[in-house]
Amino acid sequence: MGNTKPHADQKYIDALLQNDTAILTEIYQKFAPKVIGYIKKNSGNETQAKDIIQETLIVLYKQAKEKGLKLTCPFDAYFFLLCKRKWINELKKKSNNEVTINEGVVSIDDESARFAEETALFEAKHELFTEMFDQLGKACKELLKATFTIKSMEEVAQKLGQSYGYVRKKKSLCIGQLTQLVQEAPKFNQLKHLL
Amino acid sequence: MTPEEKYELFEKYCSEELSAEEKTEFDKMLNEDATLQEELRLYQELHSHLDTTLNAEQELSNLKKNLKQIGDTYTENTTPVKKSKVIKLPVWSYAAAASVAILFGIYFLNPGNPSYTDFANIPELSIVERATAEEDIKGAENAFNAKDFATAETYLDRLLKKDANNTEFQYYYGIALLEQDKFDMATQVFGALLNGNSAYKYKAQWFEALNQLKQEKYEECMLLLKGIPEQSEDYDTAQKLLKKLE
Repeated sequence: MGNTKPHADQKYIDALLQNDTAILTEIYQKFAPKVIGYIKKNSGNETQAKDIIQETLIVLYKQAKEKGLKLTCPFDAYFFLLCKRKWINELKKKSNNEVTINEGVVSIDDESARFAEETALFEAKHELFTEMFDQLGKACKELLKATFTIKSMEEVAQKLGQSYGYVRKKKSLCIGQLTQLVQEAPKFNQLKHLL
Repeated sequence: MTPEEKYELFEKYCSEELSAEEKTEFDKMLNEDATLQEELRLYQELHSHLDTTLNAEQELSNLKKNLKQIGDTYTENTTPVKKSKVIKLPVWSYAAAASVAILFGIYFLNPGNPSYTDFANIPELSIVERATAEEDIKGAENAFNAKDFATAETYLDRLLKKDANNTEFQYYYGIALLEQDKFDMATQVFGALLNGNSAYKYKAQWFEALNQLKQEKYEECMLLLKGIPEQSEDYDTAQKLLKKLE
């Protein structure tokens, strides 16, 4: 997102990274009512709305953590758009019927829409990666967990009772296997067109 | 190049372990082979994805827990009390009602220093989530709500032995201690909470302020009160107490 100065609302993204209760509470106070109102108008209830809000915040946390998300637009419309999209997906999952939506009155500027697009794409990719990681064998999963959380390769080798050379080689092979799994997933090709 | 060699090369590339010579050669290969380039890009992306997600598991689960708590409190604050179901007023409504009554009392009857009993509104403990909740949870809730704080302390202590990081247990444990004038122990419990980042951070700060008040340590009490932010549900009461003390 270039070097543009982040928007003042970047504080909400930072609060997710720091797990800052006071500012996270502020997010609920300021932005939850609109989302809850919208979901209630569209065949949902408050509990479901809260789940959507939490899931959306978690996605933002992940995007900030992995990709260093920097907001250059206000949080309000962006966040609402994300929650709304998530809710529509939820409704679609539940029924194969057409979903009718009572549009809320929100003006979405291009910047917010662009950010929402980017986040949606990030989320889809993140989900795919997680799904494919789960398909790896137990040995690969364990080895990857160990090599990424324990920084010294020697220590990992010792822990797994393998040689240093083996662990190194196996790490590259496991990520390689994951790369192939992702490449072969039909969803990946759909995503690629959007990249 | 076998797939094995390819991925080893990718890995070395990611961790910047290629020699200058190897790097030149690899760059050349990449320039000539778009598929290889694309695969390397995905490999790199997965590499960084794994690095962040596998390292942030604990952090993520803490955030989820905290958001859940904040979300739950938020609902309690906005949902009108249901008429039919179990009479469970939201915690703050007791506080609000009681503090109005108390302030009235203080205003007219008690011009001296404010006291702990004037300001302490002991919240209701509600941790039984299912009918089959474990014995200790039920015991803690019953004893606490019956104001039998010694028994509540025993139960909460046992619960905390099993689940030491549960901030809800910690918070009520602190209150149970304070109610029994176990000041130092209460300070320890509240101190840990207010240095943390849970939903109970500022509630613990409010009760730690009351702890100081109960010991008539007014300076310490005021210092703690001043640190309670506007978003906190105890802010208004804290401000009122602060005014009394100043």
